[in-house]
Amino acid sequence: MSELSSTTGNLEVPYTPPPATPHLAPREWVRANLFSTPFNSVLTVMSALILATIGRGLLSFLFNPIRQWDATATNLRLLMTQAYPEEQYLRVWVCTAVILILTGLSLAVWRAGSHVPVTKVGRNLLATGAVVALMTLLAPFSASATVQWLVAAAVVAGAGETLRRGVGMRASASGAGGSDESGDQVATISTLTLIAIALGGLVASLWVVPYGHHSYLMDRTPRVLAEPGTVAMTTKLPWTIMLLIVVAATFLGRSMRDRLPTNATRATLLVAWLLAPPTLLYLVLRDPSFDMGHVLGTDLPIFGAYAIGGGLLLSWLTRPTTGEIGRIVAAVVLVVGFCTFLTPMRMIVRIDMLMLASFALAAPTFAGGPRARRRYVTGWLGVLGVSSWLITAINTPSTVDVPGDFFIGGLSLTFIVAVFTIVVSFPLGILLALARTSTMPIFRLLATWFIEFVRGVPLITILIFFSIMVPLFLPRGMELGEVAAVVIGYALFSSAYLAENVRGGLQSVTRGQHEAAEAVGMTTGQKTVFIVLPQALRVSIPPLVGHCIGVFKETSLLAIIGLFDVLYIARVVMPNQTEFMGSTRENVLFVSLIYWIFAYQMSKASMRLERRTGLGER
Amino acid sequence: MTENPTEANPLDPVADAPADAPTGAARDLSGARDVIVCEDVSKWYGDFQALDRVSATIREQEVVVVLGPSGSGKSTWIRCINRLEIHQEGRIVVDDVELTNDLRNIEKVRSEVGMVFQQFNLFPHLTILDNVTLAPIWVRKKPRAEAEEQAMALLERVGIPEQAAKYPGQLSGGQQQRVAIARALAMEPRIMLFDEPTSALDPEMIKEVLDVMKTLAHSGMTMMVVTHEMGFAKEVADRLIFMEGGQIVEQNTPEAFFSNPTEERTKLFLSQIL
Repeated sequence: MSELSSTTGNLEVPYTPPPATPHLAPREWVRANLFSTPFNSVLTVMSALILATIGRGLLSFLFNPIRQWDATATNLRLLMTQAYPEEQYLRVWVCTAVILILTGLSLAVWRAGSHVPVTKVGRNLLATGAVVALMTLLAPFSASATVQWLVAAAVVAGAGETLRRGVGMRASASGAGGSDESGDQVATISTLTLIAIALGGLVASLWVVPYGHHSYLMDRTPRVLAEPGTVAMTTKLPWTIMLLIVVAATFLGRSMRDRLPTNATRATLLVAWLLAPPTLLYLVLRDPSFDMGHVLGTDLPIFGAYAIGGGLLLSWLTRPTTGEIGRIVAAVVLVVGFCTFLTPMRMIVRIDMLMLASFALAAPTFAGGPRARRRYVTGWLGVLGVSSWLITAINTPSTVDVPGDFFIGGLSLTFIVAVFTIVVSFPLGILLALARTSTMPIFRLLATWFIEFVRGVPLITILIFFSIMVPLFLPRGMELGEVAAVVIGYALFSSAYLAENVRGGLQSVTRGQHEAAEAVGMTTGQKTVFIVLPQALRVSIPPLVGHCIGVFKETSLLAIIGLFDVLYIARVVMPNQTEFMGSTRENVLFVSLIYWIFAYQMSKASMRLERRTGLGER
Repeated sequence: MTENPTEANPLDPVADAPADAPTGAARDLSGARDVIVCEDVSKWYGDFQALDRVSATIREQEVVVVLGPSGSGKSTWIRCINRLEIHQEGRIVVDDVELTNDLRNIEKVRSEVGMVFQQFNLFPHLTILDNVTLAPIWVRKKPRAEAEEQAMALLERVGIPEQAAKYPGQLSGGQQQRVAIARALAMEPRIMLFDEPTSALDPEMIKEVLDVMKTLAHSGMTMMVVTHEMGFAKEVADRLIFMEGGQIVEQNTPEAFFSNPTEERTKLFLSQIL
């Protein structure tokens, strides 16, 4: 065939490697980069002095003998789960295990992690040791403590140097062995292995240093207790098991990923990730005690009616011959769905009706042969089944007996609210952005009003409104838990901001892309799903991740409406314990470290995602 | 491929014509059906009249090249034919379907009419293969395997089957435009519209795209081409249409058009470009 394109490729051009960048010795590097001009030298010295002052101040704060670091160590359980009952604590560990298993499998299936040269690891360890040694000299330690820290720093630095030297020598030895490519061969280590080693070190330290073995319980004497040996109190055994579980899951995923079809496995894992939060929260942590009479008498019949009726309707709507009348019927279902809110009835009937309406509206896009139709109806049955099950579970009283409104608090509550808010507000925000850019005036107007209204109101107002006011307006017999109400309000708030981020992405899709999609005969829906949204979302990854970090951090406002999030516990609950009066500063510092770790991980994930989706872009 | 245009292609939507049938003035198309009929088509952008009572008829298997200085309305006209632009007066009938605001008619016409753009407009987030198969799978409801087989055959036909797994950004301009042609052909259109397909290309890549278009013309596709490539117009076109100021000034066979233009404005245009 004609290979007209590679006219330049066919020419025999001898390959000239670029000149090697000269590798500077440390002293030369310092001179070239830090002391190149007199002005530069002054700047370097001044910044070094400022850094040293800040470092010394921080270190004298951290290692001051009057600091009550015991408060954080003893209250770790309070910070994580607040008053979750001790005898049911196994549920928390089961949830952790499920999340870790999913993490391990996903790491393997998505082939996460890269390889770094061992010499680089060695260099980093060496640098860490040097920094620790420097800090030790800065810190106001006693002589013996200084010696101990210096020895620790020397051990770390020595390990780093050994890695660096050892690998370098092995490389040169194999070079002497006569292998041609030995010059390019570098001993590498997987980042996953490095993380596993680091986590292993942390878990092992639990067995040596007893910081995870204390607990503080209000209704018990003595209230501060060390090593009672139960799953609830001692975390060393559970965390060891957790580490083994995540490592095992990674290996399992690695051995299975080549035998299973990639896309199907990934889709299954994604569904599992989406189902995990509600299932773990409402079935495992909350443990509803189902009333079988009610389940059989009310919940199952409602499910059956929607399954059969909705299935038949959707199977008719996805028939390619149905045509225009199908769209009218779908619109009628939507109107009926909204009308159900006018009269009192079970919430589940309304929710199911609205879900059926959205499935009916989307049906023409998925119209096709019998196989496509069967798949669509199966999708409906799956969504209906899962949501019916969850709604029934939510409406059933819990067996977990705790004081207060919600059965869990602390970091768990922060995560629960953040995850649910993000998961709910993403589709909502995308829909709002599409509505605001659509050509249909009613949708555009409604979306614009909603976004502008929500953006003009402080978040605290919305949280208070949803937690206090909304229950007053609800029809009789309908109840909305406080956390559920707050999540709905927070998700609406967040979706307005998200919509504006997505809208920026939508506007970056060029007119040519729209025209190309239209020119091959795609409908507006197909164009949006296959062409516009993928490109728009890719462009908006940085602002979207920034928004997610914001949502995660602003969950601390939950304290205002009386929920015990992690910051509130650190700021108010712990400093009021008689044993740890006035430990606010230590606790808040510790909690901000927790926030930083997760926020930083999100932002790293965003950078990786950008790199990955940037492939093939330009 | 270009040396061998007679290669039979089972996927060719209009392969019933002999592939080595002559194009250009030697061909007699008087008996063929009218597939595009424009009657007094007018369009305004604000107060500016972009199209002024354009009337023309294009027959089945005819290759029509539209010439004219920039701003003469040739792109606007060709984009009106699959309703990427909306004409305000007159009628456009494509394959017996009139273009009105009725969405079903527009979708029907668009699936019959393939379009190739100046800026290629490939979907940058999809591989070459996905670019070609997306519309057949979702608009024509073809099974994926069948669509992929057809896409590979089309990529073979435009000479770049080995690029199927790459992304558009990794291809040269000429290759991208050939993929765009394959993408349009995957919908098995009866008519192909080309809107300045070589204007954004480097000179050495123009030939590879024109060669693909020539093969397509020889295979009997009905084509309407807006271009500045006079060599292509001379060699392949059955008819040239010269536009200026939103009007059709002159239309004729290539020989008559270049050797013996009747209108003053045509003569002026030809004197500037030749």
